[in-house]
Amino acid sequence: MSNREWGLAALNLRCADDVMQLERLGSLHACRLSFVRSLVRQMGRQRWQVSRERFDLDENGYGTAIYRLQTPYGRYHGVMFAQALDDSRRSDRVIADAWDVTFGLIEGDVDASLLEQMAANVPLQEAGRQHPRVLVISRANKSLRNFAHFVKALAKGEQPDPEWLTRVGYLYRTTAVYGNGKFGIADFARLHENPDFRRPFSAQMAGVYLLRHFSIEQVEHLARCQAPQTACALATELRRYLGIGNSTGLGMAPFLISHPQLIAQWVNQRETALALAQRQLPSEEDRQRMLALTRRALQHLEETVTEDGEQTERNAETVASLPDVLAWLESAPLEDDLWAQLTAWSERTLSLEAQELINTLLIELYPERVDPLEEQMGVTENLDLQPDMPLIRLRQLIETHYSWALAHDYQSRAGSYWFWYRSVEKEEPRLGVRHEEAGAEKEMLIAIGPRVAHSHAAICEFLEDNPRAKVVDFLLARPRHKEIIRRVQTLVKDTYGDIHANLWHQDMKPMHLLRTKLAFFGASRFDPKSDRWVRITLFQGAPLVEELNAEPEDLGRFDDWSFPLQPQRENGAVGPAGLSPQAGPAAALCNHQPVQGQSP
Amino acid sequence: MKVSFNELQGLCRKAFTGIGFEDGDAADAADMVAWMQCHGFNAIDQLNRGLDFLLEEDPESLPQVIYQDGDLAVLDGHGQSVLRSISLATELGFAKARARGLSVVKIRRCHNRQLIMGYLSRLAGRGINITAFWRNVQVPLTEQVVGFRAGHPTPEVRIYSVRDVPEENEPNDGITLVMANHVELLPSLGADHDLDLLARHSESDLMACRERSLQEGIEVDDAIWARLKALAHRILVESSEASRGGAGAGVNDND
Repeated sequence: MSNREWGLAALNLRCADDVMQLERLGSLHACRLSFVRSLVRQMGRQRWQVSRERFDLDENGYGTAIYRLQTPYGRYHGVMFAQALDDSRRSDRVIADAWDVTFGLIEGDVDASLLEQMAANVPLQEAGRQHPRVLVISRANKSLRNFAHFVKALAKGEQPDPEWLTRVGYLYRTTAVYGNGKFGIADFARLHENPDFRRPFSAQMAGVYLLRHFSIEQVEHLARCQAPQTACALATELRRYLGIGNSTGLGMAPFLISHPQLIAQWVNQRETALALAQRQLPSEEDRQRMLALTRRALQHLEETVTEDGEQTERNAETVASLPDVLAWLESAPLEDDLWAQLTAWSERTLSLEAQELINTLLIELYPERVDPLEEQMGVTENLDLQPDMPLIRLRQLIETHYSWALAHDYQSRAGSYWFWYRSVEKEEPRLGVRHEEAGAEKEMLIAIGPRVAHSHAAICEFLEDNPRAKVVDFLLARPRHKEIIRRVQTLVKDTYGDIHANLWHQDMKPMHLLRTKLAFFGASRFDPKSDRWVRITLFQGAPLVEELNAEPEDLGRFDDWSFPLQPQRENGAVGPAGLSPQAGPAAALCNHQPVQGQSP
Repeated sequence: MKVSFNELQGLCRKAFTGIGFEDGDAADAADMVAWMQCHGFNAIDQLNRGLDFLLEEDPESLPQVIYQDGDLAVLDGHGQSVLRSISLATELGFAKARARGLSVVKIRRCHNRQLIMGYLSRLAGRGINITAFWRNVQVPLTEQVVGFRAGHPTPEVRIYSVRDVPEENEPNDGITLVMANHVELLPSLGADHDLDLLARHSESDLMACRERSLQEGIEVDDAIWARLKALAHRILVESSEASRGGAGAGVNDND
């Protein structure tokens, strides 16, 4: 197919009734369009540089560190404040008021007065007033066991056991990462012309990437303080295998509902990527790459540890099905529509989570087609009314695009079981049982399905007396329906905007909502702690600051870090896993080295 | 104190919801206030002065169409703030202009009229030319004219006093909106007009003001902010041991 034909041919995207099912969204995996992946690609491509400006930590690891992030366009600083925290105060919930480390990513330089202002406010997080040049604030708690194990091992001059990072893949987990004007920081609108951080959540992810580097430097510093004669640096493979955790609850859910155009844009780019990949003519090299990626994903999922029974079962089911996928890939003739055949076969035979894994791997195959889509992940959000639309047309549109919403029973106990609300405790989002718990009259309007059904019924009734009415005529008589009508009018053009589920229903799984957003962030190692609380890992396997600073020439290799594998330890040295991108004839096991002054 | 645009918009939305606005009205009202404030019009002060009225308004008393034909509509705002549901009156004008090329909408009896600019900005962004006109006080008689070019979300604004006050100078608490698909309706003053220009805000001035607000934050009086927070607090549910479990978190995060 010529470039012109390729550009003009219509893409066959999956329909919203399929893609926007809550269960399918809750089965998504991070892909190469996820925000951590696109950020790291951009950093490598544009030769971003990270340097340490300040590292004033005491022998307990408490104090201030500042990292400079230099891009071709601008300069930023990550400012970290590490402090002592009593175990009794360590909580991942938004209602916490102190953390092991707090930090901010700031645009421009940090002089003494700004540092003083930040030191007084960043550790307070929501309770502080943040400077308008701060792009991101966040906080994180230690994984105490990992932290202690790493310090102890490094102090003795030994490498920590890689299995510890397989169980919990980080030293710190963030409990919120705030951007877009929260508590006085810079509005996202200010970054629209900023080529570094104009993509959604890229500034937040950059802040988290700097925290990852800090966590390595802090743990090495502590080992050095404890035993300067014997302490060693963390082996490169372990550094790379170390990510940053995130602990999150229902707070993710309202975002998905209140930003439907943005969600539609994300899903649309992912679906476009999948459709582009599916219609590529496969070469034998492509097939071998797909096989290698599948084997790596299989091992990654085999290594993934969670105490959650349901997620364990889902992982096991995916792992059990991947040998069949490998067999299919090895035996299928190399026909032009191989990838379309693969996805059709997977839809017939595999679980949703395995299907979406195949889709993620297919997207991985064609960076030259897929990567330009990362620039399309943002959108100007405005749910605008079309007041001159004939009301009968609106009714048709609802019945065509929102039949899922009209199909539910919102009167039954099961169908109206949950209500969503915000608590007076730091506005923490919670779920309550309707008719049993107080607060339903202050319900957050998260469930779109019942509202669409309610508006549809009112429209039908109005049309009986006013068959030629326009939307504005209806709304002047029934103004309460304005918000849902303009949402519908907007989203029938962006059909991936609304999640096709009754979010009131007793069987609704909030975890699916959390995973949807986290997958777009680039999360791996989904580790549910309840049906509405999850820990994940970001940047595990990602290139290191020192690899970035070395200005990588092979950007494809630099970007190839999905589905990270546990490094191997042999005779006290740590090297890459056999199936990892770092493995190969040139990748010898890295012996541990003594720390020489400051780490890179 | 300095706040961000998003913070101001978000708190206003919660405060309007706390007052009892419908979801869509709360969003529109918050957008209007935040838009005005970041373009240099002191919307927060206006809101603060009008808050007591807003709290007493009958939420069921919404703008009502008194007369309409294909090109023209007259609505009664029932003396309420434009923040509550006035958007539908402007949408009526938009729909008529789309159908007929030009429309005139008169909204009688409404308050906080200047804040309507924040919603008209959205309509202009959807590709319609708009002029909004109203008289502010009777002595001296002042007039405000706001003109948006189609596709431009930032207006030209003129405020002037009329030297030659007509004898029949009845109080005027309404707004007149003229919308047109293809005709630009910008305010301009000829030399022969018997007017004194009191204020002129060009499109570029207002855009620069918005840019400054995004760069430096928006100054808001602490007391007003606290009042908005108190109103926003109304949408929150009291906590209990049972409700703490509703977040689904564990009891111990030390691992």
